[in-house]
Amino acid sequence: MKKKLVSILLCTAMVATLAVGCGSGNDSGSDSNTDSGSSTAASDDAGDDDADSGSEGGGSGTYAIVTKSAGNPFNEKTADGFQEVIEAAGGTAIVKHPEAATADAQVSVIQSLISQGVDSICIAANDENALQAALEEAMDAGIKVCCEDSKTNPDSRQVFVNQAGVQEIGQALMDAVLDISGGEGQWAVLSATSQAANQNAWIDAMKEVMEGDDKYSKLELVEVAYGDDEPQKSTDQTQALLAKYPDLKVICAPTTVGINAAAKVLQDEKSSVKLTGLGLPSEMAEYIGDDDDHSCPYMYLWNPIDLGRLGAYTSMALVDGTITGAEGDTFTAGDMGDYEIVAADDGGTEMILGAPFKFDASNIDEWKDVY
Amino acid sequence: MAGKSGRTIANVPEKSLKKTLLCWEGMLVVLFILINIFCAGVSESYQFQNVLREMPKYLTEMFLLFPMAFILVLGEIDISVGATVCLAATMTCMASNNGLPFGVVILVCLLVGTACGLVNGLILTNFQELPPMIVTLGTQIVFRGIAEIALGSGGSISLTNADGFRMIAGKAGIIPYIFFVVIIMAVLFSVVLAKTTFGRSVYAIGSNRLAAYYSGIHVQTIRLIIYTVMGFMAGLAALFLTSVLYGANTTTGNGFEMDAIAMAVFGGISTSGGKGRLIGGIISGFTIICLRIGLGQINMNPQLILIILGILLILAVLLPNISSRLNVRKKA
Repeated sequence: MKKKLVSILLCTAMVATLAVGCGSGNDSGSDSNTDSGSSTAASDDAGDDDADSGSEGGGSGTYAIVTKSAGNPFNEKTADGFQEVIEAAGGTAIVKHPEAATADAQVSVIQSLISQGVDSICIAANDENALQAALEEAMDAGIKVCCEDSKTNPDSRQVFVNQAGVQEIGQALMDAVLDISGGEGQWAVLSATSQAANQNAWIDAMKEVMEGDDKYSKLELVEVAYGDDEPQKSTDQTQALLAKYPDLKVICAPTTVGINAAAKVLQDEKSSVKLTGLGLPSEMAEYIGDDDDHSCPYMYLWNPIDLGRLGAYTSMALVDGTITGAEGDTFTAGDMGDYEIVAADDGGTEMILGAPFKFDASNIDEWKDVY
Repeated sequence: MAGKSGRTIANVPEKSLKKTLLCWEGMLVVLFILINIFCAGVSESYQFQNVLREMPKYLTEMFLLFPMAFILVLGEIDISVGATVCLAATMTCMASNNGLPFGVVILVCLLVGTACGLVNGLILTNFQELPPMIVTLGTQIVFRGIAEIALGSGGSISLTNADGFRMIAGKAGIIPYIFFVVIIMAVLFSVVLAKTTFGRSVYAIGSNRLAAYYSGIHVQTIRLIIYTVMGFMAGLAALFLTSVLYGANTTTGNGFEMDAIAMAVFGGISTSGGKGRLIGGIISGFTIICLRIGLGQINMNPQLILIILGILLILAVLLPNISSRLNVRKKA
């Protein structure tokens, strides 16, 4: 019988410590936040209180960025940019990596951030819809939510910081083709799959740019080939293009897999055809250069550091109320200039980082280790 | 302690305050209390309502712990439950998106889970010489494979109408519903394992299967029931997980089986069978959850948290070994 008694006592002690933890926690909570109502408020209210107590400090709030996973080089650079801007503004930046690259693990991270009463969460989502419950709870608790790199559905965010404006990419790639070809001649596109929405949008944007201005009139787009984002198929398609169009001058591959495969083919065959497009610096470093030994004079991708910096400015603007995430809102992102929030394809809102970042012989060494 | 006849039965272990405190469960309770004090100390936001609010996602794994304890006491293992959760969650989302009423959706979820468990059970009881680890490794791959085919190329499915699931994820006051379900299941499974003939049979099978068989215990029936219940609980876990994630994807339920096994082993349930009590597993489950929440709140690197949990687990299995070695030395 004694044993049972002791077990019961121990269990009571367990519950008591949890409650004590709560009690003391609540005390400290209400100390720092005297105008918050009763300390026994329901959890939603408590979340609100926490958030309020954070924003009372003005510019010195707490801003969180959640990456896709620890060790994702692109996300790490984004977080660096985010941290730099927040800390320069006198705020506290929290960089949170989920335990694994899953939406599941990100939910735990978001929950933890709600408990901490941060002012904003900027997240690169691992799944478009799976974070909805957690992020809605965060927004209910008064936390501002924006996404960068990879978006959530419109219900789970206030605004998406889009790294890749379709228009900007079309323009940059078209200008690259014009420049590399010397202003005239045949060129081809090596895309991913024929259904890939982003690829098709970029290719359409390029076509529009080409038709919109006379300076592109001497360029002839001979074919859009599809390598399905498979290295072998992309290689085959590149070889087929070379065989079919002997006068081909430029291949533009707006996909990281395609550009990598094409670069290898062109460089190995010492072809005179040049390449540009969207590629990962780490994969493309050995092919980028101005001389004939290299197949790709320059290419584009977005700059993760700038993405993080814009994410930080957006978070701060959301927290201080300059923007609400509604279409038409404008704000100044420090030295990055003015940004306007526009409608996104998915029914939510977004802002576009700007023109993609150019990687050429002069900066590729610095970036190839980054991502 | 005297028996009914007034004779003293020498075999009844001596019960004392010291012994209770020094038993594994007693130490776990102390550890639990220490960890809570520690977390409340290092993190200002480690408050009762916050811990409760963060708990539901972690609690889904507790559902797997209960039947897993039975399987471990049997001296067996089931590593297919993470995949079962994934498959059940996927089917649940599909059923819900096809416009089935919410009651049917719940039924689908539990049925898919139970069916997966039944498959494991049927294979293992009909081909008794097969090692459970290998069989469940196989079914793990099969279940996840089916889920991945069902999920298609996108690899993820989301609820088009999450109303019912919002209700499940609701709270009574500040206490999430899942908490009550976990407590009910905890009591139910603990009582069955510790106090019923069924529970004693499980220990008997785990200690010596052949002896249990010859003493008239329906070994295969019991195994079949336990594996099926495991599947059912995986379905239940999937239901609550879906109410947190509003969908499923190919990574849903990844590593759940190992987390459940870790909780059980940390709670003093031996993987070689016949030893341990579920209450230990439950306390260790809550200890691990509290530690994860607390360390998460001070923004510790998640990989570091995993390392800490891993070290704790190794210490947990080492400690009884060390103490028994010391005892042997003392006697010698």
